[in-house]
Amino acid sequence: MTKRKKRQDDFQKVKLKVGKKKPKPDNATNVNFRSKSIRLPEQLKRDDSGPTTHRQLNIKDLLSQLHHYNSNVKQGALVGLRELLSAHPALVEQHVSSILSEGAALFTDKDAAVRAAAVKLLRFVAQCVPADHVAPFFPLVSAHLTSAMTHISSGIQEDALKVLDVLLEHYPALLAQRHAVLLRNFLELISQRRSGGAGGGAERAGKGGWALTITTTRSITAQQWRLTVLLRLGRFLQAVVEERPEEEGVTGGSGPDMWGGEKGSVTPLDVSWEENILGKGGVQIYENSGATPTARSTYRLRPHSEPGTGVSEGLCSAETVQGFAGTLVPLLLEVWVEAAAGEKGQAESGQLLSPEAMALMFQILTILQLLRRLAPQRDQQDQLDAWFRTYYLNDFKQHFMRNFPYGTLEVAGHKRKGDAKRMRQQVMSGPVAGGNVEPLALNVTLCQVMVTLSLRARDHLEGQDADWLGPIRGFVRETLTNGGKLSSRHLGALLEVVWRMVVTQQSRVVTEELLQAVYAQYQQRNLSLPVRTLLLRFFSRLYIQEHQSQPHIARSRILARWLAALPVQLVQLGGRNPQLSAQILQTVQSAAAWGNKDLLHSLQTHACSLYDPQEGCVVLLPADSQQRLVQILYFLPALPVDLLACLSQICNAGRVSAHLAATLIRTVHLRSPLSGWSNGSQDMAVRDVDYLSFLFSTLTGFSSEGLSSLQHADDEGLLSPSPLSPLTVFATPLEQFTHHWDVVEEVCHCLETLGSRSQCFDILQNAIIKNLCGLAVVPDCVCAAVLRCVPRLLDPSFIPGDSLLHFLSECCLSMLSLLLQLEQSARKRDAVWEACFASMSTVPRLLRLVLQSLHVGELCEEELPLLAQILSLLLQHTQLRNQMVANAAVLQHIIQDLTRCCGGKAREQWLSDLLYCYTVTVAGHRASMGLRDMY
Amino acid sequence: MSSPMEVIVSADSAGQLWNCAVFDLHTGTNLLSYRGGNTSSRSLTILNGEYILGAQLGKNFINVWEIQRKDQLQQKLVCPGVVTCLTASPDGLYVLAGIGEAIYLWEVPTGNLLSILSRHFQDVSCIRFTDDSSHFVSGGKDNLALIWNLASVVQLDSSRVSEPRHVLSRHSLPITDIHCGLMGPQARVATASLDQTVKVWEISSGEMLLSVLFDVGIMSVTLDPCEYWLFCGGSDGKIFQVSLCNTNQCRDKTFQSDSEGNQVLKGHMNMVTCLSVSMDGMLLLSGSHDETARLWDVQSKQCVRCISHKGPVTNAAIVPAPANMFLPDSRPSIPLPRFSRHLNPSEQGEGAGPGGVYLRLGPNTQVPEETYLEKADKLHSLMCAVTDKSVFGDGENTKVRVSELEEEVKTLKKINKDLYEFSTQLLTKPT
Repeated sequence: MTKRKKRQDDFQKVKLKVGKKKPKPDNATNVNFRSKSIRLPEQLKRDDSGPTTHRQLNIKDLLSQLHHYNSNVKQGALVGLRELLSAHPALVEQHVSSILSEGAALFTDKDAAVRAAAVKLLRFVAQCVPADHVAPFFPLVSAHLTSAMTHISSGIQEDALKVLDVLLEHYPALLAQRHAVLLRNFLELISQRRSGGAGGGAERAGKGGWALTITTTRSITAQQWRLTVLLRLGRFLQAVVEERPEEEGVTGGSGPDMWGGEKGSVTPLDVSWEENILGKGGVQIYENSGATPTARSTYRLRPHSEPGTGVSEGLCSAETVQGFAGTLVPLLLEVWVEAAAGEKGQAESGQLLSPEAMALMFQILTILQLLRRLAPQRDQQDQLDAWFRTYYLNDFKQHFMRNFPYGTLEVAGHKRKGDAKRMRQQVMSGPVAGGNVEPLALNVTLCQVMVTLSLRARDHLEGQDADWLGPIRGFVRETLTNGGKLSSRHLGALLEVVWRMVVTQQSRVVTEELLQAVYAQYQQRNLSLPVRTLLLRFFSRLYIQEHQSQPHIARSRILARWLAALPVQLVQLGGRNPQLSAQILQTVQSAAAWGNKDLLHSLQTHACSLYDPQEGCVVLLPADSQQRLVQILYFLPALPVDLLACLSQICNAGRVSAHLAATLIRTVHLRSPLSGWSNGSQDMAVRDVDYLSFLFSTLTGFSSEGLSSLQHADDEGLLSPSPLSPLTVFATPLEQFTHHWDVVEEVCHCLETLGSRSQCFDILQNAIIKNLCGLAVVPDCVCAAVLRCVPRLLDPSFIPGDSLLHFLSECCLSMLSLLLQLEQSARKRDAVWEACFASMSTVPRLLRLVLQSLHVGELCEEELPLLAQILSLLLQHTQLRNQMVANAAVLQHIIQDLTRCCGGKAREQWLSDLLYCYTVTVAGHRASMGLRDMY
Repeated sequence: MSSPMEVIVSADSAGQLWNCAVFDLHTGTNLLSYRGGNTSSRSLTILNGEYILGAQLGKNFINVWEIQRKDQLQQKLVCPGVVTCLTASPDGLYVLAGIGEAIYLWEVPTGNLLSILSRHFQDVSCIRFTDDSSHFVSGGKDNLALIWNLASVVQLDSSRVSEPRHVLSRHSLPITDIHCGLMGPQARVATASLDQTVKVWEISSGEMLLSVLFDVGIMSVTLDPCEYWLFCGGSDGKIFQVSLCNTNQCRDKTFQSDSEGNQVLKGHMNMVTCLSVSMDGMLLLSGSHDETARLWDVQSKQCVRCISHKGPVTNAAIVPAPANMFLPDSRPSIPLPRFSRHLNPSEQGEGAGPGGVYLRLGPNTQVPEETYLEKADKLHSLMCAVTDKSVFGDGENTKVRVSELEEEVKTLKKINKDLYEFSTQLLTKPT
């Protein structure tokens, strides 16, 4: 019973009644709670194995998260990577392979934010990894880029261009190697391949069946999209052109480097004789043909990239470029037509364009220009030009030239709502829009493109292209002459156009007209330095390179006028701008060497101001230019007296180096009739009288005015005359003395080679007697020069005059006493020493005169030791010994006087020295004579 | 007495005793002298070993002697102007003369004037042929040196202006002398200039290889046949010797005390106008305005002989002695025609004369010579053969050698083993 009851307790029936709320069952789940998910953005566990982000994620976690299905995680990982890598740059080097391969895969991610983060990461990595480290991974990166560019989704396509921007900025060389694939991708971005045969009959076969596409789904207009793509294409082609290996690319193309110096594949070796003689670095020219071995070898064991996408099928021949151009050019033309047509609705004439259309057109022209430069070699470039001409000249003429000088449309007034919106978009897309292209830039580029199509005059008929070359010429002339200042970039492009037209047209009228315009620009004042240099280079290159082979340029009157004006400009420039002066000098030298009459005439006129010893260019400019100026001297038709006077002062002024002064003297020597080098035909520039007086005034180193002013000056540096120093000696500074000494050396050499020695000496003697003998104050360098020169020139058979000898003896004695009195440098002492002894040993009478002029009785006591010193010096010199012996009587007399004078006192050291020398020399000689007499 | 291999040919501007004279290279004796007139500088040349040509100083004609008839002037070739320099091609087919600013090219067998090249802006000072007559180099007072290809210059179409192959424009003052090395179009050219430099160029590319700066203007230059040395004659009478190869020998020399003066040959008192090196590179001849020609020993740099002249020496060269020179009975194989003074003689004279070029091969060019490439191949195979033999040897030698080496290896192994055992004993020996 109980059991039964209990059983009922357990399973009581719940009574449900209608209208009452149903009671909750006991086992009902309470769903009344709120759950929260646990996110773990940071690792709880600290990992000491490597650096981590602020979320404690290390690089492995981040890289693995890049594969996460959730786009937020992926984006977070990308941001984290960037943070980690910027904090620890060393990690980049270690993990660059995985970062690039994982990161590049996200270029094609569906989510725009992820793609943007990936591009940012790429930009960061590109900043810190050099190109050669990325090279092995680049095929992978570029494959991802390609897949992004060809993606079906338009958003991914747009972002692919951003990736391209980054790569172009940092790795242009690597990207340029892969142009074979990328160029096609560019085409696909703005057009689509037409299905076979659907193109219709109007299409030419050359168009290759591509047509522009219009997609309406994009956020920007089709025109803007095309502009973005074309901008990138232009930059890409630029990279391809610039990164071409140098060996092939001797192109006379364009750009500012066109005016630069020539580049050879062999670096020449420059050696100067002084260095070589010391044995520093031998000459090795046969091992490697030049100073340095050519390191830029193109030979590689393994090609950089797999076959199929490599350089091999790249744009290295004219045919491939033609193939590519054949596809691209019709598309570009279509874009042009569209851009032009879009404007027609707004403005009645097609000349005024909106900024947007102008940017588009500018891009099109830039690309056309680059296409031409793609061909690696010059002959191929010509071939390509001809190809363009045959296929597209009519199209270009029709589209480009119809409204030729283009201008901007003023849109400031009516800015509609849509316009404003569009403007904002442009601002957002930043540099994509290409900014504002000036109409001038557009027009100039158009000129450049069109002018390349013109033919060389050899194979073109008169007036064939006049219909479209005429407006271009007019535009160029107008732009150059209207007085406006042009930036150096535009001017460079314009000059290129002028160059091309001058060279191809080969007509005098055209040349004169265009050069006149350039010359007008050249004559403007206050041009900036780069512009000035550019113009100068243009003219000088035109003269140096082209005028030899092209008579119409050689006969140009403008060029002649420009050349004739150069010396004046040099004078006006002075020392203000050494670079410009150097450029001018280079041209002047070439023209002078080639005997250009106008230039030589003008040079002759301005020679005196160029070679002015005070403010002429020759003393103001740096050493290189000075040397050029001295070399130009050789080509002057005549060297008149006043110019020679200037030159002589230059030699001695000390503002040009002694070496250059020697060169100058030698140059004048070569132009004199006495050098004997030139064989006949050239008439002599210098009269021999003038030449000799030039040499003499260079020898003395002081002008007659300078010498006469010295006579009256009472300077501290003067040593008063005394019996031991009959001339008052003006001590020149050491620097001036040594400079003059070097110059004298060269003058002596010139005088020696003149021919008849005795006549030459006669002239010199007369000059010395006339100009120097009466002087009371003489600079020491003049004394030294005279003493140096006389013995070198003296012919043994010639007997010098008395007055000369008297003067020489005075010089000699004065210099000897000066030598002993002053503390001089070793160089000066040696020089003076050498000069005195050389003159005394070659002219025996000179020594006797010197000895005779020594009167002991007139000397005061302080001078006695000095005299003794001089005498003992003379006695010690072995070469003079014989002559001293010959004058033994005079010598003995002097010494007796000397001993008597100081006989009262104790014998001094100097006296005993002198007596010893005397005994050794004279007595020793007598003894040997005596011995000889005995036998 | 056997006739000498090489002789000195020299001329001075006075021309009192002779116009030009031939000296024995080793004894210095005067062998022959040719009389009549005097010769201007860089204009004495031997044509085909049969004639001597020398341009008269200051006049507009060229003196011609048959090489064996020393006394008699054979003829005078009248030119359109004063000849400043003259040279004949080594194969004897062409004569080049610098007349004023233009270069005249004559064909010797016919005497036709083939071309007038006027690319220089001032007087031409020197012309030189390469040794295979394929190119020539001209230098002028306009600072330019031009390299011409003879084949492109000789053309019938007179409407086209012929262009030089390369323009060498790095000198800044007139060019005074040119020397052309051996090896035909692959040769190197040395140019001397008043701008105190000597520059060495490649004919093939026109690139400059070397520039040496001196402290005086350089009036003459030459290279020895091996191109080990560059000799430069200065305007102050010094001759500078520049080593073109940096061997250990040169490096040792710098440590000697006399290295300062070692590389300058001093002796002349005035500018050195001509230089020439003998075939074996042992002797250097220099002529100067101090009226002497000197012979130097290159090794010791000593002046061996001094040949005095009566005036400034204008030409001095060491040349291989032509066969006809010492045979008084020999005759030139072809008579020298009169050189025409105008470009197309057919237009004035015969009127309808054929406009063809007369072709006559020189005596030594009738058998086609090996090209330089073939020669190099031959030389290479020869050298390879030597090394092959010495290294690998023949079959039998190899076997013997191999067995010898094997034995040696065995002994070495044995020694090694002994050494090992000895040392293990030493180490494991209980102490």
